[in-house]
Amino acid sequence: MGGADEGMQDHTAQQKADAQLMTRIAQGDQMAFSALYDRLSGPLYSLSLKMLGNAAEAEDALQEVCLQIWRRAPTYDSGQSSVFSWAVLLTRGKVIDRLRARGRRSRVVASSIEDEGNLIDPADASTSETAADNVNRNEEAARVRTVLGGLPLDQRQAIEMAFFSELTHQEIATQLNQPLGTVKARIRRGMLRLRDGLRRSP
Amino acid sequence: MMSEELQDSAALYVLGSLDAAEAAAFESSLKGDAELRALVVELREAAGAIALTAPEHIPSASLKQKVLRDIAAEKSGDLTNATEGRRSLSTAWPWAIAAMFLLFSGFLVYDRAQLRREIAQVRDRDSLMQANLVALAPANGAPAAAKATVAWEADRQTGVIRITGLPAAGTGKDYQLWAVDADHKDPVSAGLVHIDANGVAQVRFKPIAEARHVKAFAISLEREGGVPKAEGPILLVGSTTG
Repeated sequence: MGGADEGMQDHTAQQKADAQLMTRIAQGDQMAFSALYDRLSGPLYSLSLKMLGNAAEAEDALQEVCLQIWRRAPTYDSGQSSVFSWAVLLTRGKVIDRLRARGRRSRVVASSIEDEGNLIDPADASTSETAADNVNRNEEAARVRTVLGGLPLDQRQAIEMAFFSELTHQEIATQLNQPLGTVKARIRRGMLRLRDGLRRSP
Repeated sequence: MMSEELQDSAALYVLGSLDAAEAAAFESSLKGDAELRALVVELREAAGAIALTAPEHIPSASLKQKVLRDIAAEKSGDLTNATEGRRSLSTAWPWAIAAMFLLFSGFLVYDRAQLRREIAQVRDRDSLMQANLVALAPANGAPAAAKATVAWEADRQTGVIRITGLPAAGTGKDYQLWAVDADHKDPVSAGLVHIDANGVAQVRFKPIAEARHVKAFAISLEREGGVPKAEGPILLVGSTTG
């Protein structure tokens, strides 16, 4: 119980620190932006790379996202989301714009379905290219992998397709050859379970 | 107790899996529902966490320098470099070349103005060729026969909407047209639409703020005279991407 509480406290403290950086960035503080870049560039770049499948494009997308973060900092609302989630969703939007503009389907649609191990085994983090000093991020990633890996396969599949590709729910239903209502229900149940699992897990 | 349908929409909304029209309709529902807003905040955090499951990589060290340069340029308005560039050009080049450059620039200005006039003439001749046609379908209990078509010219920031099958707005109410634009947090008002006795309206409109990336158009029922931010139910909605 103590471990869970400590993990949650660290998480909350980090969120507060990020929000303070955003306040300074909104006032034009470039040092604060540099610090936030150091915190977020790894996960945001990893997300871009997974969705785009190309390192140069992923860097271009991240560069655009960074400028967007700088410009939109004054409108960031900590009551609506953490800085991390806000930045992730900005990145995802930017990457999807790129995918749609180029008329490509994300290569991860098929591969994420087949590659279960990547999400089930938290030990996978040890094989990644993460910076060694980013302990907190690794722990958080392992926690999310564990919770997501604990979902029924059909729910996890649907969530991953929705998150890591530019597909709409209708397109996901077509890809999975399932009725639209079934896909919606899988995504809903999976997301609610993910939310609950992340609340509970240390 | 929140319906499963709304929970479905909330989950799809945070994952960005609703199309533009559905997202606009959902955002309308969010305004009057605190419980739904709270659910969206929670699900947004869960969605953000999914990003951490991507295999971890680190961007090149040079990217940070590029980003910091972008930020510095943005902060300074990028004026310094441009000014310095122009100054060194004027001192290094002979005056004769500068004069020729000015003459050539004058020709380009004239040529460009002529080209603009020709483009405007072509556009006036066939403005529909420039327009993006958007079909709006009924939502939130609007009559099933109600429909609308928007012809939108993004370059000119103007459009025409034709509505059929919608009853008069009623006492103390007005229909209001909105452009859902990617660059604006809230839908941008494009004015009021008055339905005639036959249930038809056809009006030219112009959004009150620049809307360069319109994702959807929607008609809502608002207080008489209109409102700055949409409050009432959305009755017709359609995505620009079809």
